[in-house]
Amino acid sequence: MVRIRRLIAALTLALAGLPLCAGAQALQRLTVQSFTLSSDTATPHVDVPFHLVVTLHVRENIGSIGNIELPLLASLDLLGDERQINAAPGGSTYREIISVTAHTPGALAIAPAVLQAVDARDGHAKQYSTNGLSLKVVGSPSTAPLLNVSQGASVGWAFAWVGIWIVVIGATIAVVVAIARRGATADVRNAPPVVDEAPPLPPRTLEDQLRDALLVLRADPQRLTAVGVRGAVWRAIGADEGETLSAVLRLHQAGAEPMRTLLIALERAAFTYDADLPNAIEDACVALEHAIE
Amino acid sequence: MSEARSTREPGTLVAALSETIVGQRHVVEALLLALLSNGHVLLEGPPGLAKTLACRSIAAALDGSFKRIQFTPDLLPSDIVGTRIFDQRESAFGTVFGPIFANVVLADEINRAPAKVQSALLEAMQEHQVTIGPQTHPLPDPFVVMATMNPLDAEGTYALPVAQMDRFLMKVVVGYPTRDEELQILDRFAVADTQPLRGVATLEDVAAWRAQAHAVHVDEKLKHYIVELVAVTREGDRVRVTTAAGRSISCGELIDYGASPRATLALANLARARAVLAGRDFALPDDVRAVAPDALRHRIGFNYRLATEGVAVDRAIDALVSAVPAP
Repeated sequence: MVRIRRLIAALTLALAGLPLCAGAQALQRLTVQSFTLSSDTATPHVDVPFHLVVTLHVRENIGSIGNIELPLLASLDLLGDERQINAAPGGSTYREIISVTAHTPGALAIAPAVLQAVDARDGHAKQYSTNGLSLKVVGSPSTAPLLNVSQGASVGWAFAWVGIWIVVIGATIAVVVAIARRGATADVRNAPPVVDEAPPLPPRTLEDQLRDALLVLRADPQRLTAVGVRGAVWRAIGADEGETLSAVLRLHQAGAEPMRTLLIALERAAFTYDADLPNAIEDACVALEHAIE
Repeated sequence: MSEARSTREPGTLVAALSETIVGQRHVVEALLLALLSNGHVLLEGPPGLAKTLACRSIAAALDGSFKRIQFTPDLLPSDIVGTRIFDQRESAFGTVFGPIFANVVLADEINRAPAKVQSALLEAMQEHQVTIGPQTHPLPDPFVVMATMNPLDAEGTYALPVAQMDRFLMKVVVGYPTRDEELQILDRFAVADTQPLRGVATLEDVAAWRAQAHAVHVDEKLKHYIVELVAVTREGDRVRVTTAAGRSISCGELIDYGASPRATLALANLARARAVLAGRDFALPDDVRAVAPDALRHRIGFNYRLATEGVAVDRAIDALVSAVPAP
């Protein structure tokens, strides 16, 4: 759980870094050639880890990448996050591999990752987005046979099942190893994402985004998280991040009372003094709950 | 945040002043912000816009003393701070205190007096004390100077030097009332003079509110925002504004010099005071942005091109302030 919280915090840091860096006008100058989000499977199994891969190719030789906002993965458990940069004079490739598991079967929509950078070609600050992903989580393959065994089938059948499963698991491992080897040796620039042809994402509702925000704020009730959630909620209702609260409250989507209370509560959480912060964040969480309702 | 708290809220003072003064909400709030920030206000507006009434009302509401000084070309420093007079019966010099010894001092048409008189007043504003003969006398606390200037009539005036202008915490432009407000003025003042409300708060309340304002939390992000706002006034080249002819020009072409570090302090103090007025103990970007025009207006040195290009001062300031994204 601690690990998950750390990862959520890391994601939130990326989220929070966006407005702060943008505000400080510290965006990197990049020539973005491609920016994609892919998954190593289109049909992940319940409780079986799979990987989401964010890949960015830029023309510059860079040592680090900032201002990448990863999608909020509220319905997934985060198991790990690995970043690599292959820098070269002719260009650099940034790869971030996020290991996750799903716990419930059904359709799973993953929002695009976002990068803010100054376009080296024209000097303008721009926001780049990856594709989104639409996956289908299917039930665990181990459920049926285990139930059969527990229901008291004959010992011979049980052995047969175990044998079959050893073969299946062996084959799966072989496939995974083969995929991993291919991924390690292939030129990343040319490797097509597995789920490139995913159907267009259903639009994420404001409620979805507020649920994500609540999850993140509950998991990591810190100032930086509150600032990041404030920025995410502002973007979700179409507000400009450089504005002040009074300007945001004049927006149509901020007019309804639960949203108004939420925006005020998030403003307090972002700017109040340290001793008041736990209460301010709790109030913001309650306001988020009301806004979701 | 356990500062001494007044049982009354400063908002009650705003409400009470609104009973007397029709409209001019911005002016009333500005006067209170200056009171809470221990600063002084320069009011600019044509005659007849209730500037004097606002100052008199605020003094009455606090049960404090009020003095008005009409600045004229023949005014002397001793007419303001006081003088020493030889008492023949006592065979000794006695001190006669000038009208500066009051809680609220209205310096009417401050730009009509020569520089030595202006500097006598401004020295008192800065030091909160005056020296008459060999003795130094502290001024009452709170001590707020509300100076007025008439922008329409420049003949026979002495422009305030930049350094002296900088000592005013804020410069507030007083505008004409709306039609509805003017109808209310007719109803309220045509028959009989409305007397300012007395005793709405006390001078002790003001001291408590000031302590509250002093304790208001200003987040690091907000401090950076304030510094950026002041910095952009010195780097006007990165901001563009549209002229009356519809041409886009850089603000740098309109500005000779930007705001001083005193503006940085003024923005922070005014934001704190505004937070107290709103019943908060932490400041928000909204507070800073709301007070920015009044805190910066008199501290930016605009040149002649502002007039020739037909750009209003407030539009240029708005362009500068809008160029800095709020945290």
